[in-house]
Formats: sequence, structure tokens, C-alpha cells
Amino acid sequence: MYVKVSFKLNGEDVTVDVEPNEILLDTLRLKLGIKSVKRGCERAECGACTVLLNGSPVYSCTLLTVQIDGMEVRTLEGIQDTPEVKALVSKFVEAGAVQCGFCTPGFIVTAYALIKKGVEPTPENIKKALEGNICRCTGYKKIIEAVTKAVESIK
Amino acid sequence: MIRFIFGRRNYYPSSGEIMASIEDPYVLIDKWLRAKEFIVVGKGVARTDAFEKALGKAKYVEDYFQSGILFIKQVLSTEPHARIKGINVEEALRKPKVVRVITASDIPGENQVGYALPDQPLLAEGKVRFHGEVVALVVAEDIDAALEASESVRINYEPLPHILDPLEALQRKDVLVHEEVGSNIAFRTRIRKGNVEEGFSKADVIVENEYRTHHQDHLYLEPEGALAIPGLDGRLTVITAAQYPHLAQSIIARVLGVPASDIKVIVPYMGGGFGGKDDEGPLTAAKAALTAYLTGRPSFILYTREESMRTHPKREATIIKYKSGAARDGKLTAIDVTIIHDTGAYANRGPFILWRATVHASGPYHVPHAKVDGYCVYTNKVYQGSFRGFGNPSVQFAAEAQMDELARKLGMDPVEFRLRNMLRPGLTTITNQLLDHSVGIADAVEQLAKVSGWYSKRREYGVSTGRFRRGIGIGVAWHGISTSRGVPDWSNAYIKIDKDGSVTAFTGIVEMGQGSPTSSHRQIVAEVLGAPIEKIKVTFGTSDAPDGGATHASRGTSIGAIGVLVAAAKIRERLNKLASELLNCSPDEVVIREGKVYVRGDVERSITWEELIKHAYSRGVDLSATGYFFLPKGKFDDTVGQGQAYPAFSYVAMIAEVEVDTETGKVRVLKVWPALAAGRIINPQQVEGQIEGAAVQGMGYVLMEQLVFDDKGRLLNPDLTDYVVPTALDVPEIAKPVYVEDLFKYGPFGAKGVGEMALIPAPAAIANAVSHALGVRITKLPITPEAVYFEVKKHGLIK
Repeated sequence: MYVKVSFKLNGEDVTVDVEPNEILLDTLRLKLGIKSVKRGCERAECGACTVLLNGSPVYSCTLLTVQIDGMEVRTLEGIQDTPEVKALVSKFVEAGAVQCGFCTPGFIVTAYALIKKGVEPTPENIKKALEGNICRCTGYKKIIEAVTKAVESIK
Repeated sequence: MIRFIFGRRNYYPSSGEIMASIEDPYVLIDKWLRAKEFIVVGKGVARTDAFEKALGKAKYVEDYFQSGILFIKQVLSTEPHARIKGINVEEALRKPKVVRVITASDIPGENQVGYALPDQPLLAEGKVRFHGEVVALVVAEDIDAALEASESVRINYEPLPHILDPLEALQRKDVLVHEEVGSNIAFRTRIRKGNVEEGFSKADVIVENEYRTHHQDHLYLEPEGALAIPGLDGRLTVITAAQYPHLAQSIIARVLGVPASDIKVIVPYMGGGFGGKDDEGPLTAAKAALTAYLTGRPSFILYTREESMRTHPKREATIIKYKSGAARDGKLTAIDVTIIHDTGAYANRGPFILWRATVHASGPYHVPHAKVDGYCVYTNKVYQGSFRGFGNPSVQFAAEAQMDELARKLGMDPVEFRLRNMLRPGLTTITNQLLDHSVGIADAVEQLAKVSGWYSKRREYGVSTGRFRRGIGIGVAWHGISTSRGVPDWSNAYIKIDKDGSVTAFTGIVEMGQGSPTSSHRQIVAEVLGAPIEKIKVTFGTSDAPDGGATHASRGTSIGAIGVLVAAAKIRERLNKLASELLNCSPDEVVIREGKVYVRGDVERSITWEELIKHAYSRGVDLSATGYFFLPKGKFDDTVGQGQAYPAFSYVAMIAEVEVDTETGKVRVLKVWPALAAGRIINPQQVEGQIEGAAVQGMGYVLMEQLVFDDKGRLLNPDLTDYVVPTALDVPEIAKPVYVEDLFKYGPFGAKGVGEMALIPAPAAIANAVSHALGVRITKLPITPEAVYFEVKKHGLIK
């Protein structure tokens, strides 16, 4: 049994037929070709599947697609040309904050939301904002550095 | 010109019109080891994969999945130890969209994937040996159908008594995980150096303790997956997350009963490995390949996090009994160590892990008399396997606790005591290996003590009686480079230069986050060829490259890039000869630097890199080469554990500062200072990244990560909710590393291994800091708030 769901994806209206128990992560990856969202834990813990739902970062692995009818979803693909993401990407590269890269898109989406919210970029605020994203490679130090520098560079 | 290179006589031909290029790898490795100035080596060159990864465009295994591909779901054992009386697949086969159910009897080749010992099936056969063992594969048109049908596979078990405790398993003969072995001891190791009785008789202080360390899950963010496509490129091609494409290739070939040349393995970007995908990767690949082979259709397997945690091998849990003695002058006299590894249901790499623990049992110290006994013991739990450090973090934790306790009894500072015993060139290890070069640890520890303010902090901390107590601790460790003992190890790569001057290096080394192919390999090729770094591409993780070994054991650069260097150096010799003819100079005078080819001291006599390559094509100069190098190994007697254990060792130290909340038991690591003596640092930014990542993974292991098994050996927390790993909020301040570049004679530019290093002393450093803070010796990991709380209570540390 399929359900028709319509939402805005990266600025475009999309309508998809989904199973009632289908998670947004699967809809994005398997039906809409959005590959920046990664499948890490499927339990809302690791943050590799982070997307923006009406502007706020959420885990797409524990959101049913039927729940987001009429809402707006943005993924890294949809924000990659913004000055914030450009700054984040270049600082991540410069700082050496990318290792295996599986968690990186999630971190960038979360950091983008942090910048958009206009949070004061203190180390504590940045760490707190990134707490829901797990990185197993870098030890976070260079990620925190990169986000700090990105925030400073677009101030 | 005759050159003597570490005892081997090699030479450059003196002169002559037709001069053969130098192809001897020993000569080439030595020549570049002696380089004095560098173009890109030693610089923090950004890795090539960072942009596409940051933008989410880098492709991992799951990104190659498309609809229409068969999906494989594993059926896992629900018993820890049982005979399989029968498997009923009728009901599962009747489910919609189900294509096939595969069990052991369907395997056309050998159902044998044991790595060190032939004790392990790909799919359980006859009996299951742990809760979570893979019994069958359900293949369906889509994931939901496969999942549903997997619950309808009926396995008729006849339960057998099971055994979970390794000490009990060691004693009992009535419950055997592998009947054919006759006991539960999978493997034994032994070191006998000198005479320990004599050594202990000379000791003024003796410390004897029992240590326990626990399992750890790798928790790479990308779970295991593989996609097998029959007929692609004329072979069965498998795209998989494995740390050694050639190993995956040979295991698939064995399971299918076909030649390895019929199998191609491609490892795309991998979302972390840490050793786990060295063991599980080939098995994941084999399951997809088997399905594709039997159905003739592209087949895909993707583990859920729960499946991943239930099935893939873990860091070993250990029991280490350690007795050591020292004389009043602060010199170690003897050690007597018993190491017990809980290897779980299968030996996997257990024997190698045990050997590594055994050989490193002393820590990086000179000990005249040593006795070490190792036991790799079967139990009915998920089996142990490779994990960053490979048996070494646990034994260094024990050895370093002993060092602190001996220092305390002698009334010496722990760093002073260590320095008095530290390995230096000219000393022997506990395997009686004479260390002839590349031993920079004493220098590193001295510098580290200075930058961390060790001596004053060590005096100030550890005396508080308040709620929050600070401590500072040190862990010093060593880690042999390459395989242990006489186990063969080699490097290789293939390099070609195309007509436009672009360069491709092909290697089986994979990219799993460590970045060797996308940073250091490129730098090495650019340095040796003198070509602009933008022109260099490294094609990694393919079984079509020459077999140059696995991406494990910190060897991606240290060993993996030797082949890259040798191949590039061979081509460079040919290019220098050609350029010398074009520029009218001797080959020694040719400089190739960042795309310009000129005569040393006369920059005007020059051509471009592209012109040089055009000339090479028109004049018959071969611009392709492989870089095979077989590491020379000495003699090692396994029966007494004496001889040449490794060609060289990397050394690492860490000082950790902690604060312990005696009311809640929570330990916070405030700052860590790392030091590394790992030869040449090819890319300082990437090395820093490895150190920081390993330090935090080590901290997670010590303080929070814990796998919990029930009385049936069932893992109770196979998910990220209940298996807790560090987040951004947990990370300590990490100081800039101290580097001592103690060059390794066979390493590329003298590099040794880095990847595992900072994890190895982390448990020791943190546990010693907590012990310092509380004035109570910590002998058991993990140091959870609960564990600290009970220590505090037991010793009456607060009212």
C-alpha cells in the first residue's frame, strides 16, 4: 500500500509514493537520488543522515516520510552553493577535518544550521551543536576548528 | 661509486654509454632515504578526497546500489552453542519476492574462511558456536521481502552446554567449542629470555597484579556492505568495504571454488575500518559473491548496525597476570607475564594478535630476563579480531601500570624510572632482538615530560581529598612495523605515466579515512618523479593492482608506500638518464621539480615535464613500472619466542591529565599530550589527524565503551543508543604532537607506521592518571563512573 506524499526538496516540489513505514532516509536515497545522507545507525544516534526539516537539523532515519507531507526538506545537495556551506567545506578541507568522510555531510548540515541560527560561535556552543553527530575517525578536534573558522570567515 | 647500504653491497654503474637504469629496490629506497631537501614530503598537503567527501559526492558501497538488484538478509543463530539438526526453508521460500535461501550445503567451493587457523565456516555447518553466527542467507527482490522471509527460516537446534568465561574454558575439557582441537586452547605463544628466577632474585621490589580489559566495537560509521555483479569486466566483480582487496578476492575464490583471476574486487571509499573490515570485509564480500554466483544476478548485502555489532569481530577481552621486578638502581630485572585472550568462537586473527601482545609484553623497555606465556582461548561469544592496536593496547596497559607501581615502590618518578629502562639503539628486546637503528622513544619522552609540565603536575596532583581530584599519568608504548616474526611481508604498486604527463599509481591499499592513497602516496610519487602534484592520481583498493598487502597494522604508508616509492624511483632513474641526454649533462645533475626539468645550477638549460614525457614516448623509454619489495626478515624461534620479531618499531607516548569526580565516579580527560617516534612524517596534518582520532577512540575505550553479554553470550547492546562512543562534548584538549623522526631504513623516506599508535598508550596513560588522582591502582577496564564509584567506596576515599 502506497501513500502519496508531497514536500519541498531543495526548493523543488516533489511527490512520491511511499510505504507507510518508509523512512525519509530511504525515500531520499533510494527514490530521489539524494546520496549525501548516509545510513549509519538507523536509530537517531549518529547523525550521518542529517537533513534540514523546515530549517532545523533532524535525523532522516527515524522520520517517516508520511510525517513530512507539506514540509520543506533541504539536504547538503540543496545548500552546497550557499556562502555558509562553501566556507564550511573549504575550512573542513583546510583543517584536515575530513577522514573517511562518511559523517562529514551530516556535520556540515548541522553546522550550517548553527550558523543560520546565529549562535555565538564559542567552543562550547559549537561542541553542543555538534553533539548529535558522531565521528569515529577525527577525534572532533579538527572538525571543531573547521566550524569555528568557517563561522569567523563569513561574519 | 661503491655504496654500502646496511651491509648489502650495491653499486651504481661507474660510467658507460649504455647505462642500465637502477632497478634494485634496496638501492632506490636508500637513495631517497638520504634526500636532504623536499618538495612536498613533510608538508601538510591537502588530501584529494576531502572536497568530494565534504560535499557528500564521494561514493561508498551503498551508493552503488540500485533497484532491481537482489537483496541479501542474514539469518543469525539464536543459540550460543548448538547442533544444527536441520534447516527448514520451505516457509521462507513461499514468501513473496523470495528468490533463494542459501545455506552451507549450497557452497560450491570450500566453506572455510578461517584466517590463521582453518576453524571457521562462512555459513554455520553442523553446529553454531555463538549467538549471532550466520546460518543462512535469504535472497529476495527487495529489502523488505528479504527481511520478512528471514524470520521464516526455521532452524532446528539441539542446544549444547556453552562456555563464556575464558578461565573456565581453559580448564574444561567436557565443553569444547571445537571438539577436534581437544581443548579450548586455540593457540599458545611463549617467550623465554634469560632466567626469570635469577632476575627476580636480583630484584629489590616486586609487583604482581592481575589486569582485565574488555571488548571494543569498531563502530565505523559505515556498516558492512558488498555488491556483487556477475560478468562485469568478464569476471565476477565485487564492490565491497574490505581492507585488503586481494584477501577478499582469494576468500571469494576459495568459497566459490574458482580461480582468483575470475574475481575482481573494488574497494571504493570506505566509511572507516579500524581493523574490523579487515576481518569482516572479505566475508561480507563472499556472501554477496556467493549469492551472485548462485543466482546469476547482481546481489547486494548491507548489514544493519545490529547485525554488524552482533557478527563482526571485536577487540579482544583479556586477562593479564603480570609480575615484574626492579633493583634499587631503578633497573628492571625480570618480568613474568601470562596473557589470556578470549578469542570467542573462532581463532580468526587471534594467533597473530596474541603473538603481537606477547612480543610487546615488556613495553618499550630493556628487560634482561623475561618469561611470557600466551593463550588464545575459545568461548561461545562473538569472536575477536583486528582492532587498531592489535593486542597491544591491553598489554601496554598492564605493563605501564606495573611500571608505575615499581616506580612508587622505589620512590622514583614514573618518567625517570621509565627513562632508565627505555629501549635505545644497541639494546635488545625481550625476544633478544638487537635494535640497531630507528629507536627515538627516549628523546620523545623527555620532550613530552617538558611540554606537558609533567614533573610539577605529578607532585601537585594526587594529593587532594576533595570531591574533584586531578591526576596525571603517562603511557609509553611500542608497536612493531610489518608482520611479526618470519611471516612474509612485501609491498608493491604499479605506476604509469600517460602521454600528457599525467601519472597514475595503482595500489591495493584502500582509503578508509587514513588517507594514505589520497595524501602520502601522492606526495611520495610527486617527490620522487618531480612531477607536479596535481598530475598525480592514485587508484586505490583494487585487486587489479599488484598485491601489496593489506591496509592494516599501520602499514598503508610505512609498508604500502614502499612499492609506490620503488616504482616511481625506477621511472625517475630512466627519466634522469633521458633528460641527461637531452640537456647534455650527467644523470646526477638532472633536477625535476614541480614540472620543470633542468640542469643543477643552470636553471636555463631546461625543458618542461610534458616535453620530457613526449621525448620518452618517442625514444622508447618505458614509463611504467612495478615496485615490488620483499621485507627482509631475520630468524625467529617460535618455541622460545626468541629472534627478530619486526624489522623496526614505531614508538609512542601519551601523557594524560584527568579530573575524577569522586561523588559520581565520572572521569574527565582534560588534556592529552602525544609524542610519536615513527620515522619521517610525510604529511603532518594527516599524522595529526590519526593521532587525534586514535587518542579519542582510545579514550572512549577506556572510559565509556562496553559490550554487554547475557548468560547466553547474546550481545545486549548492539546499537548506538546503549553502546556509547565519544561525542564532540567528550573530547579533551589535544596538544600538538612531539615528533622524533627516527628514520626506518626500509620505510619510504624513512617513514614508520602511524595509524594505530596513539590508541596504544591511551588506556595506560588514562588509567595511570586516574590511579594517580585517587591514589588507588586501577587494574580493570573500562573505568566507567560505576567502576570508579566502587573503587572510591572500597578504599573509603570519601566520607
